[in-house]
Amino acid sequence: MELVGVLKSWFRVRGRSFEHFSFSVRRLTGVVMALYLLLHLIDISTLVLGKEAYDALLGLFGGRLGLVADSLLWSALVLHGTLGVYSAIVELGYMLEHRRLLLILAWALAVVLIAVGVWVIACALA
Amino acid sequence: MKYRLVVRRVKATGGRRFDVFEVEAEPDESVLDVVERVSLQGDRTLTFEHACHHGVCGACGMVINGVERLACITRIGEVARGGVVVVEPLRGFRVVSDLAVDKSRMFGKYRLVTPTTLEKLDSRLDRVEFEKLYDCTECGICYSACPIANTFKDYLGPSLLAIVSRSAEGRVPAVIDSRAGVWACHAAFECSVRCPVDFKPGESIMRLRRRLLKGEVEVEG
Repeated sequence: MELVGVLKSWFRVRGRSFEHFSFSVRRLTGVVMALYLLLHLIDISTLVLGKEAYDALLGLFGGRLGLVADSLLWSALVLHGTLGVYSAIVELGYMLEHRRLLLILAWALAVVLIAVGVWVIACALA
Repeated sequence: MKYRLVVRRVKATGGRRFDVFEVEAEPDESVLDVVERVSLQGDRTLTFEHACHHGVCGACGMVINGVERLACITRIGEVARGGVVVVEPLRGFRVVSDLAVDKSRMFGKYRLVTPTTLEKLDSRLDRVEFEKLYDCTECGICYSACPIANTFKDYLGPSLLAIVSRSAEGRVPAVIDSRAGVWACHAAFECSVRCPVDFKPGESIMRLRRRLLKGEVEVEG
């Protein structure tokens, strides 16, 4: 199947349930983190170009851009983690009768962790 | 009341288009009734499937305003948005013509279900109070709703795995315990949410997984 068709199916949210939306978020954050890993490898590889090049790149992420980028990354990490734990539990056949409650708890925990994380990042960059 | 029925037309010749029909209908009328009226009075070439008209046969599954539903038990007034209803064929199946899809992808895999499986399900019917919609209607809605069935053609699919899960008493074919079987499911649960008979395919698949992991079910072959 062509990539566009796959992506349309994975990330279709119109007319879809909370469960499917969560599945889409789980997939999307997984892809985002994989791309970040690639970016991170490129970022680190600037060491080969010397200290100045590496410091210049680090400097880019010292201000507002850094706060946004780190916050987005932290959000992706947390969402993938909490929804992943939910997924692991139900995919092993546990708590199926309460899976919706479990999913709501996963989202609630994600929101709390994202808020705390963003606050910590903001304090660190201030 | 006036409704605008937008039908996604797909023909074997490769043509794809949306046709718009202005129809007069009561909000309580089913989408299937309206589609039938259009085919009788508007366009005799409109192709769609139907049989029982009361939500038991599963023939009239289609995507109505983006959501998989049985057209015969869906009231047009409940799904219309601004008087507009868009009907499309189920996803995940080859479209034969317009709203009619080839469900052999689903029915063709029934050979994996041992004959006794269906007999066991029949025998269970004796133990339930007379209840409409006790069993899977084989409408294909779960295949259309499932993001994995839509993207992985070898996947056995939610309804088949659910039937196996509910009937397996100790043994399942090897394909059930494979990449194309229960392990392809990724817990989107859209199949369970959309199932018109509340058969809960998603939960059934996960239960079968658990039994496989615990060694309660033996894998044949």
